[in-house]
Amino acid sequence: MRTAVSYLVRLTGAAAFVVPGPAWADAARDFEARVRPLLVAKCQECHGAKVAEAGVRLDSRRGLLQGGDEGPVVVPGDAGKSRLIAAIRHTGNVSMPPTGRLSDDEIRVLEEWVIAGAPWSGPGGDEGAPSPSRAEEMAERIATARAEHWAFTAPARHTPPDLAPTFPDDMREAWQAAPLDRFIATGLTAAGLAPAPPAAPRDLVRRLFYDLTGLPPTADEADAFCANPSAAAYLALVDRLLASREHAEHWARKWLDLARYADTMGYAFDAQSPLYPFAWTYRDWVVRALHADLPYDRFVTLQLAADEITPPVPREDLAALGFLTVGRSFLGNTHDIIDDRIDLVTRGLMGLTAACARCHDHKYEPISAEDYYALHGIFASCEIPEELPVIGDPPAGPEAEAFAQKLSELRQALTDHEAAVHVRGVREAVAHAADYFLETARPAKRGGDHRPPQLGDGYDLEQLVLDRLTRLTAKAEATHPILGPWAALRGLADGEIGPRLEALVAGWGEAPDPQSVNPLVRAEFISARPSTLRQLAEAYGRLVARVAPEWAGGTAPVPEEPAELATLRKLFGVEGSPFVVPRADAMRLALRGESTEHRRKKQEITKHFATAPGGPPRAMALVDREHPIDSHVFVRGNPAKHGPQVGRRLPQVLGGTAVDRNSSGRLDLARAIVDPANPLTARVLVNWAWTHHFGRGLVETPGDLGLRGAPPSHPQLLDDLARRFIDDGKWSLRWLHREIVTSAAWRQTSAGTAEALARDPDNRLFGRANRRRLEWESWRDSLLAAAGTLDRSRAGGPGVDPLALTSMPRRSLYGSLDRQDVPGIMRVFDVANPDTAVHVRSHTTVPQQSLAVLNSPLVVEAAKQVAARTAREAGQDPDKQIVATWRAVLSRSPTEAERMLARGWLAGIGDVPVPADFGSSERLAQAVLASAEFQFID
Amino acid sequence: MSCDHDSAHAPGLSRRAALHRTGLGLGWLAAAHLLDTGSRAAAAPAPPTSLATRPPHFAPRARAVIHIFANGGPSHLDTFDRKPRLEEYAGREIPTHLPTERRTGAALPSPFRFTRHGESGLEVSELFPAVARHADRLLVVRSMHADVPNHEPSLMLMNCGDARLVRPSAGAWVTYGLGTENQNLPGFVAMCPGGYPIKGPENWRSAFLPGAFQGTYVDTKKRSVEDLVQYVRHPLITPDAQRRQFDLTAALDREHLAARPHDPQLEARLVSMELAWRMQFEAGEAFDVSREPKHVLDRYGDDVQGRQMLIARRLVERGVRYVQVWHGEGQPWDSHEKLEQNHRRLAKESDQAIGALLDDLVGLGLLESTLVLWGGEFGRTPTVELPGSGTDVKEPSGRDHNHHGFTVWLAGGGVKGGTVYGATDEFGFKAVDKPVHVHDLQATMLHILGLDHTKLTYRHSGRDFRLTDVHGTVIKEMLA
Repeated sequence: MRTAVSYLVRLTGAAAFVVPGPAWADAARDFEARVRPLLVAKCQECHGAKVAEAGVRLDSRRGLLQGGDEGPVVVPGDAGKSRLIAAIRHTGNVSMPPTGRLSDDEIRVLEEWVIAGAPWSGPGGDEGAPSPSRAEEMAERIATARAEHWAFTAPARHTPPDLAPTFPDDMREAWQAAPLDRFIATGLTAAGLAPAPPAAPRDLVRRLFYDLTGLPPTADEADAFCANPSAAAYLALVDRLLASREHAEHWARKWLDLARYADTMGYAFDAQSPLYPFAWTYRDWVVRALHADLPYDRFVTLQLAADEITPPVPREDLAALGFLTVGRSFLGNTHDIIDDRIDLVTRGLMGLTAACARCHDHKYEPISAEDYYALHGIFASCEIPEELPVIGDPPAGPEAEAFAQKLSELRQALTDHEAAVHVRGVREAVAHAADYFLETARPAKRGGDHRPPQLGDGYDLEQLVLDRLTRLTAKAEATHPILGPWAALRGLADGEIGPRLEALVAGWGEAPDPQSVNPLVRAEFISARPSTLRQLAEAYGRLVARVAPEWAGGTAPVPEEPAELATLRKLFGVEGSPFVVPRADAMRLALRGESTEHRRKKQEITKHFATAPGGPPRAMALVDREHPIDSHVFVRGNPAKHGPQVGRRLPQVLGGTAVDRNSSGRLDLARAIVDPANPLTARVLVNWAWTHHFGRGLVETPGDLGLRGAPPSHPQLLDDLARRFIDDGKWSLRWLHREIVTSAAWRQTSAGTAEALARDPDNRLFGRANRRRLEWESWRDSLLAAAGTLDRSRAGGPGVDPLALTSMPRRSLYGSLDRQDVPGIMRVFDVANPDTAVHVRSHTTVPQQSLAVLNSPLVVEAAKQVAARTAREAGQDPDKQIVATWRAVLSRSPTEAERMLARGWLAGIGDVPVPADFGSSERLAQAVLASAEFQFID
Repeated sequence: MSCDHDSAHAPGLSRRAALHRTGLGLGWLAAAHLLDTGSRAAAAPAPPTSLATRPPHFAPRARAVIHIFANGGPSHLDTFDRKPRLEEYAGREIPTHLPTERRTGAALPSPFRFTRHGESGLEVSELFPAVARHADRLLVVRSMHADVPNHEPSLMLMNCGDARLVRPSAGAWVTYGLGTENQNLPGFVAMCPGGYPIKGPENWRSAFLPGAFQGTYVDTKKRSVEDLVQYVRHPLITPDAQRRQFDLTAALDREHLAARPHDPQLEARLVSMELAWRMQFEAGEAFDVSREPKHVLDRYGDDVQGRQMLIARRLVERGVRYVQVWHGEGQPWDSHEKLEQNHRRLAKESDQAIGALLDDLVGLGLLESTLVLWGGEFGRTPTVELPGSGTDVKEPSGRDHNHHGFTVWLAGGGVKGGTVYGATDEFGFKAVDKPVHVHDLQATMLHILGLDHTKLTYRHSGRDFRLTDVHGTVIKEMLA
């Protein structure tokens, strides 16, 4: 019975008349006995003091009344208006609890309790301290985080302690000079450990080449260093490699991981090509910038705001904006695109996981939803220009002419298609003008999809035309010389229309004033005598047809037209009148097939830009919109639910400074990111570089320096290096690389002592080097280097097949990457997911990697080329061939034992038949290419 | 200073290196490695980076999934959700008309005959006679609903739990959570004959999870094993000749490892080489349906669907964790027009093979531990799709997309067979009784595999992500 009452209450909201059942006579006891246990068991884990999902807390009465992002969750006495009840009944848009519906009894208890006025007793009742508002709470979290969290105060210089007396004497000299080394030594000594000895020269030179350039040394280069492994020779080699383009290419690829670079936008509808024809101009810009050692602050500023800088930057630098634009297109969903850019800038550059605040205040970090939408406004104030800016000259000659010629043809075809759609669309609208009139006055009942009706002949009324006609007729009064009769009669029943029209016509008299009725309208009515609304609409339809453009089935205006015809034409026949929709809106009238064709034609233009030779390079630029906007908070991330509007500014935790009002504010954003006082940027960058050099970060969550990120293993080292990177290094990445690879810490051997392995198995103290597997790009490049076919001379330009080895003997960096379909072999080798900023790739070991080593055409092809090379260099002598193979593949000569092993192997393999193009030298080459040594760096 | 390459590396022998040298081969090491990984996984919470088996959160009902994806959106009204009221309203407007992708008109009764099957009396249309033989094993969920009436977002929702954002697929999550039982085969296989479905590899992506958990795509239109499995064979030399080559690499690697003891990375690489060697044969064997006796091939049907369902069975038999079987390239089940002919053809193509698959899973005792899921990304409207400006449909003879209500069925894995869960309204437009959102289906599927959907998480971008985001309810009523 009570259930029935409750139900009634929910429907009517007439709670005031319901007296709660006897169970609620002792509210305090009932609350404690029945309600509080339920709230504790089922709700408070997610809606309590520790976590407040959706901002809702169910551990105090105030929490119920204050509610969350969407208002109160309980209206005392009114179950129907209480969102809590809708949620547990699964009748609203939120169903709770997520672990499963409450039992019917439990639901009834809570419902009765709400109807009884949601009485509360004990802790959490009204007497308790008021819970702070969401904003106050956030402000406090931000203040606390800024005061207490290590990463939110600017890094300071630190002086490392001197080496401890227990530090091994033989390493003292090498370890005491650089601050970096003394920090590492301090950590090791404190743990009772000593550093590993320096790496052998041959290991060191190979490591250095791979680390700085992603390529192996040739055997001759390695021999030369081993012959003179002096400190001076090492420094000279470091400088030579740092200045090489190969170095810029190698580190550009790491930066491109962070920039979630790909050559396609992701999935595209029907005929569209997903290609970004000019993504490569961004990739090439990164290579050039690193090769020129562009200071990091400038490097970042150009990538965020090259277009806003005054005086204008050289046009080539606009390519830097690709950083923001080479992400996934999310089928054009603006808010997802913006979210991707916010994540890139905050997490990518600053290790701040702000994108979590899209739906609500960050649960852990001091980032509010307002902070998120303050950044949202910055990117919502930008757009990709219709035509990408040209950043270089087209190649001179006939190709460029052919390019321009073809481009204008394609553009003409697109215009022609739009014109044809326009003609067809308007012609059909004019032909159905009467139906439009009728629909405005007596709209047909619409289906659930709210589409305008379809007519008997299969024609769908166009909402666009309907809206335009409705706007025109709605404001016309009964005195309008053309639309007046329509306005006067359209609301009448059919039976009344004839007599009323007769009266109107009679009232006009024989020669009425053209100002009160247009003579053509009068003549039409006199000849047609419409007596139903349809007939009246048809009369107007004929008037429309009479003055519609000739190309739409009407008549062309003649010179000195009579005034009545001219006014009728002005109302119904000129472009911009209801039926003659503006040419610019033509595609809004398109049929499905016409839309597909339109996309296809646009696509041909994009494809032309992308593939036809002779076109100029362009930047994947971003520009500010004419009118920058501030975004509203989207409640729970829903763009349809606007919260307060937020001015464009930096996150509060970084000071909250407003950005320029007259532009999107990207330049101010960039400047704030690379401000020497910014606590995050330099730390993130230094940690990023360190991670790639050492195979393990000082902070092991390189994209998260927030409260939930990992604390640094060597905080003073990180801060000191970050500070010196700015102050001494002047943001030079080359300075930073040099600082690291010339350190004694980096030059240790990777062979750890048993004690070190036992005491520090994860090498968190950096007491040895970390052995690493080559990343995909280095591995493939090394196959080419071994084959002797790597083409180092060609740099830049549009991407090519990333798996080809013979047709594309270029570095893997120049492979085209389709984010929609990253080749399986590359994913298996852990290439970065191009949909999110990746600081460090994952490292897996799975048999598919080895399967590729054994059987992929890539390795088989490389083996053939290595064999061809060794045959050229060493002839047919097996011993010489073995030596040549080792030197080509492993950059060293074989040991005596290896030579004997290979010799014996060659002698014994003749009994199994093999094809002529994969004989013993090819098989030898593949066996060595497949070795662990080829794939790992000591 | 010495320049001997290995000078820096301690010459001491590790336990394993010593075993190699005493003649125990890599096979032993492989076994040791797997055991190792198993016990380590139980203790260490670090995110997995291999495909080694990992324990579930609680006792599972199933250990493998076969998801038969009728892509394009099969009509529930013509298969598993009979609506007599549509006949009453034939050619007339029905009272509830919900917005879908395109314009639809009057009620379109199903042209197919429904009959009751099994002891449960489950109603199945004439389209799926072979599947209907298993009526008492099917749990037909008639109250599915999704978010929007478009293919792309609905495919993403069904496979990855989010309509737009880049999230890992269910198969990737499951492989991440449980690893796989046979290291000689990929843990997650996605088969689609003739090319990709709409959205392509996004449907089986690993997104921010490591690439090892991505589904391995197989084009089952191809027949030869070399074409089916990438890199399964050396392109030029025989296994005999390759074994010689492999032996040399192994010898070099053993020396390399001996000089670098205690390096789990190098040890794992060595193991993975041995596994890859065996994978060549086992994968080749698993995908080679020509090894099946003729009577088996005949039961499945010697065509694309027959072959790929048979491969699915062979994979699950061999310990593959997650198998997805797509009907075909593009969106074959998308019958906007000529639904009768198209659905008849599509069902005929797949019914026999699905029936045979269920037969075999039952016969081999595998159905108990294998969850079979059949369905599309949404269903279809009870109303006829109209020709007009929003469509290329020429005649009103098909149905539009319908995300408001549709059907999937499950079998095996401890689901309650011979039952219907939930219902659409009397016309089949909208799920009204016990609605099941896609997230609920996913939560339930993970539950069946012994995984708590709220605990199977991955830290990325500062927060813990999961397949069901912040949604999903396990529907225990579906379980026996």
